[in-house]
Amino acid sequence: MDTFSSLMMGFSVALTPSNLLFAFAGSLFGTIVGILPGLGPAAGTALLIPLTFHLDPTGAIIMLAAIYYGSQYGGTITSVLMNVPGEAASAITCLDGYQMAKQGRAGAALSIAAIGSFIGGTVATAGLVVAAQPLTRVALRFGPVEFFALTVLGIVLVMGLAGKSMIKALIMAVFGLLIGMVGMDPTRGSPRFTFGLTELLDGVGFIPVIMGLFGVAEVFENLQEEGQQVIETTLSSLRPTAQDLKASGWAIGRGTVVGFLLGLVPGMTGTASSVLAYVAERKSSKYPEKFGTGVIEGVAGPETANNAHANAALIPLFTMGIPASPSVAVLMGAFMMNGLIPGPLLFKEHASVAWGVIASLYIGNVILLVLNLPLIPLWVKFLKIPYTILMTVVLAVMMVGAYTVSNTVFDIFVMLLFGVVGYVLRKLDFPLAPIVLTLIMGPPMEKSLRQSLEMSQGDFSILVASPIAATLLAISGIILVSPMLKYVWKRWMPQTQAQGV
Amino acid sequence: MKRIVAIVAILLVCAAAIASAADFPAKGKSITMILGTSAGGSTDVGARILAAALEKDLAATGNRIQVENKPGAGWQIGLTALARSKPDGYTIGFTILPQTITNYLDPERKAVFDRKSFQPLGMQVVDPGVIAVKASSPYKTLKDVLDAAKANPGKLKASATGILSDDHLAVLQLQKLTDTKFAIVQFDGSAKAMTALLGGHTDVYFGNIGDTFPQAKAGEVRVLCVMDDEESKFLPGKTSFSQGIKLESSSSRGLSAPVGTPKEIVDFLAGAIKKAIGDPEHTKKMEEQGLTVRYMDPARMEKYWSEMEEQIKPLMGIAKEK
Repeated sequence: MDTFSSLMMGFSVALTPSNLLFAFAGSLFGTIVGILPGLGPAAGTALLIPLTFHLDPTGAIIMLAAIYYGSQYGGTITSVLMNVPGEAASAITCLDGYQMAKQGRAGAALSIAAIGSFIGGTVATAGLVVAAQPLTRVALRFGPVEFFALTVLGIVLVMGLAGKSMIKALIMAVFGLLIGMVGMDPTRGSPRFTFGLTELLDGVGFIPVIMGLFGVAEVFENLQEEGQQVIETTLSSLRPTAQDLKASGWAIGRGTVVGFLLGLVPGMTGTASSVLAYVAERKSSKYPEKFGTGVIEGVAGPETANNAHANAALIPLFTMGIPASPSVAVLMGAFMMNGLIPGPLLFKEHASVAWGVIASLYIGNVILLVLNLPLIPLWVKFLKIPYTILMTVVLAVMMVGAYTVSNTVFDIFVMLLFGVVGYVLRKLDFPLAPIVLTLIMGPPMEKSLRQSLEMSQGDFSILVASPIAATLLAISGIILVSPMLKYVWKRWMPQTQAQGV
Repeated sequence: MKRIVAIVAILLVCAAAIASAADFPAKGKSITMILGTSAGGSTDVGARILAAALEKDLAATGNRIQVENKPGAGWQIGLTALARSKPDGYTIGFTILPQTITNYLDPERKAVFDRKSFQPLGMQVVDPGVIAVKASSPYKTLKDVLDAAKANPGKLKASATGILSDDHLAVLQLQKLTDTKFAIVQFDGSAKAMTALLGGHTDVYFGNIGDTFPQAKAGEVRVLCVMDDEESKFLPGKTSFSQGIKLESSSSRGLSAPVGTPKEIVDFLAGAIKKAIGDPEHTKKMEEQGLTVRYMDPARMEKYWSEMEEQIKPLMGIAKEK
């Protein structure tokens, strides 16, 4: 079947009344998840997985995917109105969005963000449609050897995003890898670090860990602070001015490209996309000094980028079964719990599910655009619920969620433990994303390495015998070595540098 | 006097036990069906189809069957819960083979149960193992594969779905029977093993009819052999026995109760399960999933179980050495 007729078949699945309802419910819930500072897309999606057990797989995935990309829309609202990121990928939007709100231009900021998000999300979905089938063929060429090289590259790229301190990021990455080691050894079947607990034989579930690190820890942190003030604005002027539109056009275009490209790379998070898009806007602007005082491009660029990212990140998931970020990993968990394995065979064996979900991405983006603007006054009211009440509810819901994923109280303790760990690490200014990314990428990396060695009966040269793998490993090597070379260059060439300056 | 009281007390307890067995199942009381895997997978779907058929049988007393998913540790968590539950007939559960056997034969797992901890109630599904190659593979028959494996020991890459899985045990058994050696590559799950086969990363695929049939029907893989002595409805004319190799392997699902469940209750449940599995609607729904329904009564299931245990025991050491 060619791509077009597949997509049409997908629409016929996605447009059934029940699936439309799931897309709508997911979009609505996703917006709330995005608005609530205590709940990010990863934890929010994880929370709803157990609810979908009794739905058919297509409806379940449609709803969970809508929560995932819907949260990117909602995050903006909190950033603009409260100067608190509703979710991490919208953090950078606070800089200009909140300033705009203070000037009474919150409506314009939110409208532009919603339009940008719609364009970014739709373009990235079109990319998924075009790329899906060719990439599925390429994906079959990825065996254990190539997969190992790809996970190595993913982890190396995560390190490139370390942020302030490379050492702190490395410590967190190793911590994540260690958590990933808990459980049965993948090829010998011996228990590792299980302390005799049967519950740990399968390893530490990443869903309770994510809910703990991102959800519970954030609730703790929020409860410590005084409730943030919601900016009261007259939302009468939702419509952006002609000048706003003109200024945002290019920003939306650039944001789409940045978000789409980074979304394809395993290990990149939506936050990286939005930050990079913001930097790109400032660099290309004629008035970079004005950024941070309420410039519309500072909202349009990053908000477009994080939505383009969210949809583009589904491409490696659908075609190769690679979760590029924590939220996508949760979505992948949802596929697997419904008996569907993302990867090249998904399009062959479950074509109607795969294309139905893809078609629903278009529908969901339209729903979100329509849903977002008129409901803004309602969301504002939502944010006025006292934190103490809101956070208690969120915490209780998360406990239920952690329990229901595999019906075990043990996971609640895992979640709470990681909540405390996450809180402490936040206070010490350690980045949390590397833990989750290595926790997700570590086990497949180990498995594919050991599968490769099983294939070669222990001969390591198999890792570079495949051209794809050799190329990916070489790129990883270059990325790892380049900061060192820079350092050496600076040290040994002080004169050159002095002259340069 | 004291002695009389004691005797009376014992008699009363016995009477109570008999009475509870005779009353089984109490009207409206639900029966828990423990399943050591998560909701949504193929085993879960099969369990829910059976639960629905069982509820139909028990309509007179209105007993609901509550499927309780207790996933984790390769069934060990669910099996432990089943073995430890009260033997009163209100808790039953799936004991799938060979996982249940390898759980307690593997000393590193420190399982608290063994075969004697469970009272078989009836077998629902026996999904025979298959050996398959990619459609474009040069190997046309099982003999071709074995000849190639003999010519290049340890070079032919055979996929299995995890340490001590039925597929893994089947490769080991084939190696033992035919004096060959494969490079065994473990994947987590049949979908990943199938992807690797189709991508040309492995040479031979060891799996089950249920997970291979869609690809076989689509003409993407060639099934060389069904590891069974009985003909398969899905893939006829391929048994290993007809090809001169006495290789038997399957993944099977049966229901058991904790040992100590009164005989009357066991008989009652076994009868209800037999009827539920014989329900044409049950068979039709299971076959839609590519699953081979094969009923066995408790005695046959017990025999099947212990025979499989005997076959696996000598393989345990080989499986774990590396």
